[in-house]
Amino acid sequence: MIKKNYIYILGCTFICILFSCKHNEGEYHNITDKIEAESKNYHGTSISSEQLLEGIETIEITEGVHTFLIPERKSQIKSYACTECHTKPLRELKSNDTIKKAHWDIKLAHADLNTMNCITCHNGEDMNNLQSLTGNSIDFNRSYKLCSQCHSKQFKDWKGGAHGKKVAGWAPPRASMTCVNCHNPHKPGFDTRWPAGFNSQKVKERE
Amino acid sequence: MSDNKKWFSLNLSSPKKQSTGSCGCGKTSGGCGSHANDQISDEDFDAAVDAAIGDERKKDGFDQVFDVQMDRRTAFRKLTASLLIGAGAVSTSCSVTTGEDAKEKAQIDWEEQFKGNYKLMTDKERNATVERLVRSYQLRKEKTITMSSQNAEEDVLFGYAFNISKCQGYMDCVSACVEENNQDRNSQMEYIRIHEMKDGKGFKFDDADDNYYHEVPAEGHFYMGTQCFHCDNPPCVDVCPVQATWREDDGLVVIDYDWCVGCRYCMAACPYDGRRFNWSTPKVPEEEVNKNQHYLGNRMRKKGVMEKCTFCVQRSRAGKNPACVEACPTGARIFGNLLDPDSTIRWVLENKKVFRLKEDLGTEPKFWYFMD
Repeated sequence: MIKKNYIYILGCTFICILFSCKHNEGEYHNITDKIEAESKNYHGTSISSEQLLEGIETIEITEGVHTFLIPERKSQIKSYACTECHTKPLRELKSNDTIKKAHWDIKLAHADLNTMNCITCHNGEDMNNLQSLTGNSIDFNRSYKLCSQCHSKQFKDWKGGAHGKKVAGWAPPRASMTCVNCHNPHKPGFDTRWPAGFNSQKVKERE
Repeated sequence: MSDNKKWFSLNLSSPKKQSTGSCGCGKTSGGCGSHANDQISDEDFDAAVDAAIGDERKKDGFDQVFDVQMDRRTAFRKLTASLLIGAGAVSTSCSVTTGEDAKEKAQIDWEEQFKGNYKLMTDKERNATVERLVRSYQLRKEKTITMSSQNAEEDVLFGYAFNISKCQGYMDCVSACVEENNQDRNSQMEYIRIHEMKDGKGFKFDDADDNYYHEVPAEGHFYMGTQCFHCDNPPCVDVCPVQATWREDDGLVVIDYDWCVGCRYCMAACPYDGRRFNWSTPKVPEEEVNKNQHYLGNRMRKKGVMEKCTFCVQRSRAGKNPACVEACPTGARIFGNLLDPDSTIRWVLENKKVFRLKEDLGTEPKFWYFMD
């Protein structure tokens, strides 16, 4: 009988110890558990980016499982439509005189000349659209399709949201900048430059 | 008790003889608790403390200040602090020569002095204090600010991700943060630090330079930003002796600047150097003051209080991105709602190789780093 009680008490203690080994007062063991549990009943919030996106023309795109907005491009290009000047085929517009012509300031600094030149992306026969590597037409509004032909890793990250910036707020609907909103397609790299500021007090404090 | 102790102890429970019952404060009921505490046993003392604090938890704003058991020391301290304001209020309100504005100012100062902890205020009290602060600014500076007391939204938990292979060290985030959050320009206080680290040496914050000034990105270096990580289990909140800092429901760790006593315990407790202290009265040129403010965010601080990154509560609760996210030209900063399964921050956490700093401490920061 005493032995039975002894076992009983021992069992109780064991169970107590088992349950007292919880993370101090929190409901969840870690933040990942918390996110997982609390997002199960996610119904959306009243906070929306719609107001912030007012006045910004956007188009909706669907790539794989992701559907989101990107800024409309054509209205932002200064001299669109291109055919307003490009009335004749390109080889007829070409000349050998030395006066500066349209687009004289564009220097291609994107990959090397073995890989890319103007006609990798532009179609001399159809200046209003871009063209893919296989010669299919790509709308200027969807220029990311052109970039994604080579930059597939960046494209994957951009679709998910790990590459690039949002247009306005964090809240839904999602509106993400497209490639050309940050990168100049003719010179996509970022320059080195000086930092925005220098903290002179920090130097003094650490003397 | 042995005499060779190296620390000073209060010895509250020693069975020393005590005076009969009259005390200096002259109050006969409620107000003075000092003689009760002086000679009681350990258990009784604990029970009394428990009772006092337990009560305080339930009380809201004004009650918390007025309806407390107060010992002589606290009473004197509170009285002296309030005396100047009170004297000012009385003299201006009784005077026939002072203008309406001065009277209103004194009235506002009086009410601000005796307001409670923001955390415990009702929504009505929160609105009232915000209105007082707006009016006070209007009376003093003749400029109108907007201040919000917006509470945490349901189904929102803010999280942040930082891409260390994208950051180029331009520090646009740092200057945007200073402008957005009305930080002191004299002491050049900054919430964000960008650490320039050598490639191939790992994260060595001791060797890193967080105040570089040369063309960036520098050859053979990478950049890593730190700021308040808004831990889900924040040690800074645990150590605050006056509960002036706490975690909101949307995950933001915030400070009530009017309740902070400036002890800097939180600064010592933070393992990430996320908190800053106002050693002097913060000064911002009037034309540079960001007038879109939040009580818990970028409203003007005073000397001797703590402050830190709030993920720009005045922006994030309105659906905008924090100023640093918006200013970053490289897209290295991702911000969003961790509870929204379709949010970009969730995609980053689920698809990139993310890590956090000092994860083993169990602080559960909501600030992840990742690489391309």
